[in-house]
Amino acid sequence: MTAHIAPLPAAAPLASWGRAAAVALRTVLILAGILIAIQMLVVVEAKPQDLITGFRGMVDIVRRSWPPDFSKLPDVLWPALQTIDVALFGTVAGVILAVPLAVLAAANVTPSRYAYYIARGVIGFTRAVPDIVWALLFVTAVGLGPFPGGLALAVHSIGMLGRLFAETIEHMDMAPIHALELTGARRVQVFTHAIVPSVLPSLLGIGLYRLDENIRSSLVLGFVGAGGIGFQLLTAMNLFQYRQVSLLLIVIFAIVIIAERLSAALRNRLG
Amino acid sequence: MLRVRNLSMRYPNGKLALSDFDLTVEAGELVVVLGGNGSGKTTLLRCVTRTLQPSSGEIWLGEVNLAELSGDKLRRARMKLALISQHASLVRRSSVLANVATGSLGRHFNLWTALGRVPADELAAAHGYLGEVGLASLAGQRAGTLSGGQAQRVAIARALAQRPDVVLADEPVASLDPEAAQEVMRLLQRLAHTEKLAVLAVLHQVDLAYSFADRVVGIRAGHIAFDTPCASLSREAVQGLYVSEAA
Repeated sequence: MTAHIAPLPAAAPLASWGRAAAVALRTVLILAGILIAIQMLVVVEAKPQDLITGFRGMVDIVRRSWPPDFSKLPDVLWPALQTIDVALFGTVAGVILAVPLAVLAAANVTPSRYAYYIARGVIGFTRAVPDIVWALLFVTAVGLGPFPGGLALAVHSIGMLGRLFAETIEHMDMAPIHALELTGARRVQVFTHAIVPSVLPSLLGIGLYRLDENIRSSLVLGFVGAGGIGFQLLTAMNLFQYRQVSLLLIVIFAIVIIAERLSAALRNRLG
Repeated sequence: MLRVRNLSMRYPNGKLALSDFDLTVEAGELVVVLGGNGSGKTTLLRCVTRTLQPSSGEIWLGEVNLAELSGDKLRRARMKLALISQHASLVRRSSVLANVATGSLGRHFNLWTALGRVPADELAAAHGYLGEVGLASLAGQRAGTLSGGQAQRVAIARALAQRPDVVLADEPVASLDPEAAQEVMRLLQRLAHTEKLAVLAVLHQVDLAYSFADRVVGIRAGHIAFDTPCASLSREAVQGLYVSEAA
């Protein structure tokens, strides 16, 4: 005798409806993707023929850039140092200001909800405004030169570092903090003896990564009058001194690569 | 000396975790609390440390009723109460010595300690406490590199650095192998018998209670089931703690 298993009458229509819905959803998604791609090409006015017509001009620029004018190297060293120091200033000032803000903005250690929301607001605002906009504002306020560049990077770094520092503190192991609180230690002692040692390597790693980023940003800030090698590059391009431009690009490449490698090596040692 | 009088704790969800609980731990005495999961053991310790506000009752630490204190008065009073928890709760990236020395911070609030330093005499004392738990040779090592048993002994040294009158231990050997567990219990016993501290330890290991406790308190559903010297503790009484309510 064979056992008879009754079929589930509703199962088959349900399955076919599910398949139809999945196919419809996939079609809608593909159509939406195509529409987004088309509007993107229209909005950016992408014309491949411009690349072909501009090729001759690009070859001409490359030809006029060669060989780099190494006789100008001594004149480039000071702006190069300015670029590095603007980044260093912005990073150090950013770290100093971001640490207390991060403590206020970390939900697990903040002393009050008001402090938390205010700190989060400051971090969000300084991060949302791009560093180049901060540089334009500070150039207007304090004049041309590397100082407004350093200020711009410092303010923008507060936002970037503050958020990452706060997240690092929020993810730390709270058990040593609770243990220290129970010994009768005060809040500031808990901070310096338990929180700082626990998160310091992560904070230094984030700070080094930020320095690496700030060196790249510092190059660009020179374009808006915030000093450094970026300002030199803009001037050389405006004067059609392409051999000097190629020298500056080589120096920029060297600075970026050295900063990146140094930052990565130091972060590895901290890890 | 620790005295708990008529301590009750009802959680916001209505569960009565402790009901009219009375307990005394004399200086020089190791009292072990036994009980099943959810019986109220950890709630008892959390009320005594005042990380939980009890619904009613008194918690006397010497002549001070902790249940009445708050803010800075509570912080000062708590310095006489050391807690050793299941996990050692050390700052993993700090040295073993630095971890022990943090036990003394409550006594020293100044710019020096606020900047992350510890007075030299407290560091020397911390070295001595590490010697007492047999780990002086590891003073300079990072706490994160220690084994579970070593970390728990460092937590005991930190408790000593606090110079408490009462030591509470919340399942201090729960994550240790039998040998390390014996060592930690020997140290807790020594705190009671040699240092003359009042030691209250919550345990799940009945055999360790038999081996080391002076008195054993059984908790069942937030009430004291028995409170008896270890020598007169019957196996049946202990087994009764772990029989479910429904059975």
